[in-house]
Amino acid sequence: MTAPGWRRTLVRLRRRPLGSAAFMVLVFVFLFAPLVVMVAFSFNSSPRLSFPFAGVSIRWYQEIFTDTLVLRAFRRSIQAAVVTAGITGVLGLLAALGILKVAARWRTVFLTTALGPLAIPGLLYAIGLAVFYRQIGVGRSIWSANLGHALIALPFVFLIIGASLERFRFGLLEAAQDLGATRWYAFRTVTLPLILPAVIGAMLLAAAISVDDFVIAFFTAGQDKTLPLVMYGRVLKGIDPTLNAIGTVMLILTTSLAFMAASRTTIGER
Amino acid sequence: MTESLSRRGPRRKRSRRGTSGEVLVAIDRRRKVAAWLQLLPGSAYFTLLFLVPLAGLAAMSFFRLVDFDPVPAFVLSNYAEVLTTSIHVRLGLRTIQVAGILTVIVLLVSFPCAYVLNFVFRAKRQLLYFLILVSLFGGYIVRIYAWRSILGRQGVINQTLIGMGIIEEPIRYLLNSMFAVGASLVNFLIPLGVLPIYAAMQNVSPHVIEAARDLGASRIRAARQIVLPLSMRGVRAATAFVFIATLGEWVTPRLLGGTKDLLIGNRIEFYFGQSLEWPQGAALAMTLMVAMGVFAYIIISLMKRLTR
Repeated sequence: MTAPGWRRTLVRLRRRPLGSAAFMVLVFVFLFAPLVVMVAFSFNSSPRLSFPFAGVSIRWYQEIFTDTLVLRAFRRSIQAAVVTAGITGVLGLLAALGILKVAARWRTVFLTTALGPLAIPGLLYAIGLAVFYRQIGVGRSIWSANLGHALIALPFVFLIIGASLERFRFGLLEAAQDLGATRWYAFRTVTLPLILPAVIGAMLLAAAISVDDFVIAFFTAGQDKTLPLVMYGRVLKGIDPTLNAIGTVMLILTTSLAFMAASRTTIGER
Repeated sequence: MTESLSRRGPRRKRSRRGTSGEVLVAIDRRRKVAAWLQLLPGSAYFTLLFLVPLAGLAAMSFFRLVDFDPVPAFVLSNYAEVLTTSIHVRLGLRTIQVAGILTVIVLLVSFPCAYVLNFVFRAKRQLLYFLILVSLFGGYIVRIYAWRSILGRQGVINQTLIGMGIIEEPIRYLLNSMFAVGASLVNFLIPLGVLPIYAAMQNVSPHVIEAARDLGASRIRAARQIVLPLSMRGVRAATAFVFIATLGEWVTPRLLGGTKDLLIGNRIEFYFGQSLEWPQGAALAMTLMVAMGVFAYIIISLMKRLTR
């Protein structure tokens, strides 16, 4: 396929993009409306959730950053993100390296079962985990929730690192070993630096999944409330203007994690 | 003499090949062992925290409840109780109906969206794709809450309509209604629909569409008869994601629906939350899981027939 051919085709396809542009604008307005409204209201000086704005202020941010309940939840969410990224990074990298070397039919078995957590609703997994903890006598805490976060994030991490290893040229590794490098030394100085962006990207995605999770934490974290749990409690109580500010902080956290993840891995190259 | 020579020759050859072969086999075996050792921690974690909990949930559905404490037993009464409660049948049917409608809506938006992203605005697709990814990670609870400020009586839509003089009283059924639940869920599910379809479309060359157009097909016909079958894998994945996500949904109806706009997920949450009747909740969850499998099979075989 030559480049000019592609370009000509694309020009033809793009000739009348007005309808398409209108459609995309509508979709994006719909997708981002709730987020834009939330960010806007987080700077509204009036506690009422209504137009027009009374004025611009950062009082809700001052309020949440002096609220020990919110700060503690924020710390827990960060902790959950770090622990989830750590567990999935180690397990995912090892598994992705191992699966390259097993027979093709075993590879299929592993790849298919790894998709299991994506095939059942989060609610069912969360209650399964709660039942499991109860049966083995493990209490509800942020650590219990962490293990669940790591499990639902593991398939993504495994697949992303696997995809980057598929493009890795193993000849480089053989070259290093021919030149006298031990297997471990070759891995450390050749393989790891080349796949490190993908590993870090996958770990950041795992962190984003952890911060964003509500259902698993709801059933397994108990009193160790994360940010989404604090938000849920306040939504149930009624209108609370600090929610817009908490939501905006969370939005910044998850989207910057997702952005950094996307810019390091193939999920951003699509 | 000749016999012994002919016997000796091959044997020496075989033995030489044998030693190098043995070394290779040993290296190969070491690599295999290393590979299985590398797979071990992940598999163990997966088994312990995914397969065992699900098995535990299945076991719990046969337990007996004694003083609000699940006691190991093998009784079928939980299933009998759960399946004969009329509200479960009603909510189950409604959930499937809602999931079906949402899936159709999301696919009708996601497919054109992925198409436009991949073929029309190809130069800007990186940015657009990233924006969709952002909205996927835009926060689950956060977005549900934001819908309250859009749809509420004092919310953006009502206030704008009143301000423009179109209505005098705020429209009540915008919030705490099935409409609010549907709008929020469609909003949340569109990225889940677009991403797999878009990924599958990467393999469709623009030349194919051009060829169809040259042969006189309309834009729509080319998209339907050429691009759709070629990206069917993505459409199937999107269908599954959207359907599965809706079946397990309970937070959105709880926070945005009225008191009557519940889904089956709310009943499961009820058993594990307020009522503490875990065995019954587990039985309902297992029923949902089986129903989900049956529906997935039906939908996938229907889709196969439709695209043949």
